[in-house]
Amino acid sequence: MIRFDQVSFSYPHGETTIKDLSFHIYKGDFVALIGANGAGKSTISRLCNGLLRPASGHIYLDGEDTCEVPTSRLARKVGFLFQNPDRQICENTVRDEIAFSMKVQGWPADKIKERVAEALETFSLKGEWFPFSRSRGERQRIALAGVLACEPKLLILDEPTTGLDYMECIHIMDYLTGLNRDKGITVLMVSHDMELVQDYAKRVLVLGSGTLLGDGPVNEIMKDEELLHRARVLPAQIPSLALRFGDRFADVYTIEEMYAAVKQG
Amino acid sequence: MITVKNVTFRYKGNEETALNEISLTVVNHDFVGIIGTSGAGKSTLAMALNGVIPHEFAGDFYGEVLIDDEDTVDHAAEYFGRKVGEVFQDIDSQMVASVVEDEILFGLENFGIPHEEIGIRLEKVLRELGIEDLRHREIASLSGGQKQKVAIAAILALEPEILVLDEPTGELDPESSQEIFGLLKKLNEEKGITVVIVEQKIKLLCEYVKHLVVLDRGKLQFDGVPREVITHIDTFKRLGINVPPVAELSAMFRADGSYAGDVTLTVEEAEKMVREVLHDSV
Amino acid sequence: MNLLNYVPGDSFLHRLNPITKLAAAFLYGIACILCGNIGMEAAFIVLMIVISASAGLAGRALRLTRNLVILGLFMFVLQLFFVRTGAPLVVVKGFVLITTGGLRSALLLSLRVVATMLPLMILFAITPMNDLCNALVKRAHLPYRYAFIITTAFRFVPLFSTEFHEIQDAQRARGVDFETKNLIRKVQLVAPLCVPLLVSSLEKVNSSAISAQMRGFELRNRTSGYKEYPFHAGDAVVFATLAGMIAVSAVLL
Repeated sequence: MIRFDQVSFSYPHGETTIKDLSFHIYKGDFVALIGANGAGKSTISRLCNGLLRPASGHIYLDGEDTCEVPTSRLARKVGFLFQNPDRQICENTVRDEIAFSMKVQGWPADKIKERVAEALETFSLKGEWFPFSRSRGERQRIALAGVLACEPKLLILDEPTTGLDYMECIHIMDYLTGLNRDKGITVLMVSHDMELVQDYAKRVLVLGSGTLLGDGPVNEIMKDEELLHRARVLPAQIPSLALRFGDRFADVYTIEEMYAAVKQG
Repeated sequence: MITVKNVTFRYKGNEETALNEISLTVVNHDFVGIIGTSGAGKSTLAMALNGVIPHEFAGDFYGEVLIDDEDTVDHAAEYFGRKVGEVFQDIDSQMVASVVEDEILFGLENFGIPHEEIGIRLEKVLRELGIEDLRHREIASLSGGQKQKVAIAAILALEPEILVLDEPTGELDPESSQEIFGLLKKLNEEKGITVVIVEQKIKLLCEYVKHLVVLDRGKLQFDGVPREVITHIDTFKRLGINVPPVAELSAMFRADGSYAGDVTLTVEEAEKMVREVLHDSV
Repeated sequence: MNLLNYVPGDSFLHRLNPITKLAAAFLYGIACILCGNIGMEAAFIVLMIVISASAGLAGRALRLTRNLVILGLFMFVLQLFFVRTGAPLVVVKGFVLITTGGLRSALLLSLRVVATMLPLMILFAITPMNDLCNALVKRAHLPYRYAFIITTAFRFVPLFSTEFHEIQDAQRARGVDFETKNLIRKVQLVAPLCVPLLVSSLEKVNSSAISAQMRGFELRNRTSGYKEYPFHAGDAVVFATLAGMIAVSAVLL
């Protein structure tokens, strides 16, 4: 789906720098990008859709080198949900807001109408609402509905938990898991919340100072405390608890698994 | 000490009340955490504790907030600014200066602290927060965690009795968040400063605060020590607030009768509990 | 990147009283306006670059000069065709296009623009906004309220610009193509961004005002400022030198 090949990047003032980064995210994967602030998570997510451009190296999207492709065209394949929905929302009704991306991407009018109706239904939104006076959670849903209406192949989530209630976040994540399973949409999620990563991601990329410290299945990474420590990430509670018992709870990652394992003795 | 009595507040132009009949006491040397979903009234409550509400926001205010028996309505907003210092949510917009030193000087100068004392306080607060090396730095060049410390320093220099913070770790990563909480704990224990913190991160609240307040749509749901409040796991889930996974685990063992101890709040406590259930020697 | 932000340093220029710096920038400008000699005007520009270099700001001064030269060129072209005095210099099909007077006046004006603006721009590099305002409050008795408005305005410029870029990124991420060459189309695209920008700006201004208020803004008076801004021998030297410069310029008028 998306492949980074020896990508380097640095900001003009030289803060976060990505050094010779290579990785490949396959179609249908659900990947979490973790690491401390300043490790380069946001930079990588913005390189994926061309908001930032690599200083050297190449990024391939569906096999096509993205270096020469404008962001506006990449946006048709890569959906991006920002932490703060207020930077996205600029239309006066929820209906127009959801239609906005499809319009600028040149979708036919009848198709737009159909997709908007579907999106309103899926996300329990009303087309005539004035988006600016809705709650933060609703605004985030409006933004997501607009992004997903365009049927992106790759969806990037930038810190989905910030500013969202736990339940709202769980609803959104459950819905995305369904899309990932049924429609094969690829998800790349940037998050600090290891519980969320544990519950939803299939694969984890661990970042530290612009380099890849680790890359593997979520269960493997969540139990590599040395690696998480090196990346300055606080481990999820249950895997961390399981580790304190050596090999005894080697297969335990969730609350339910822990409970069942302890009950068996 | 702050006493909140039956406070109801409705922002001008809104139909719903942001705070609804809230009563609450913050005693001296307390460390209070306020949690709730977005729109629950957390920020509004934080601002009501020192008179920012109702003085700076138009709306209907009922009930009373007493700071050491003085009613916030009877005095201008800045009257309590020194006693109950507040670090607001938007870290960038609350800074008034471009250099760290000037930011800390601002309040000291305004409140007419004698000039011979200002220098002493400035150095003391920089030392206490461990940011001596940032003294002459441009605020725009600092990291999120450093900015947060500067904002706290600027308030702390005024030597408040109570420090109110509105989501100080919202933009920080877990490591810096824990650092800020550690700092607040130190101020609370060593200097006796009362801390009131609005926060979404339940794991940190459980680990650090002495007193947890849960709000839901302007109403007070729970008010007590975290270990007791957190036992209401079903209510928390219904309100849309998560609880630490280890607390949920302990609730399951408590429910089936295999564990009789308190709800566990940290991984260490959970380890003890699991060993107890397994009849392991600890 | 930003050509107007403060560059920390400990040079002779940095250590001057902020009021001296402000006055010096204006007096230098007056000298440049009075001066009617093209060579002298060019010398003023070079001198300013040399002075900036002494404060470690050679790069900044050169970049500023380059930008000001672009502005100067614009003035040069206008002046070249509008001033009709002197002997004809370029004649096209019997129509006098450029005169010697036009050329001389255009050259002088464009150099003057660069020479006058440069010291004012350098002022920002060697003076923190806070110091300038505090000194004006203490020494020149400027009401604090106005000083605060000036510093706040300066502080908000980068905040707004960051916010604007992030809003623009959010729009680009959903397919808006800002790279169009069509100016009208571009305005159409940027206009909707004003809504989110305005919403967030109002919030920021409001929260800034409350924070200042709670930290006793209303109680402040002229003597509140902790830092003193005394004048030193260096300041006197600067004033004397500038007085000399103005005199020389006036003579060469």
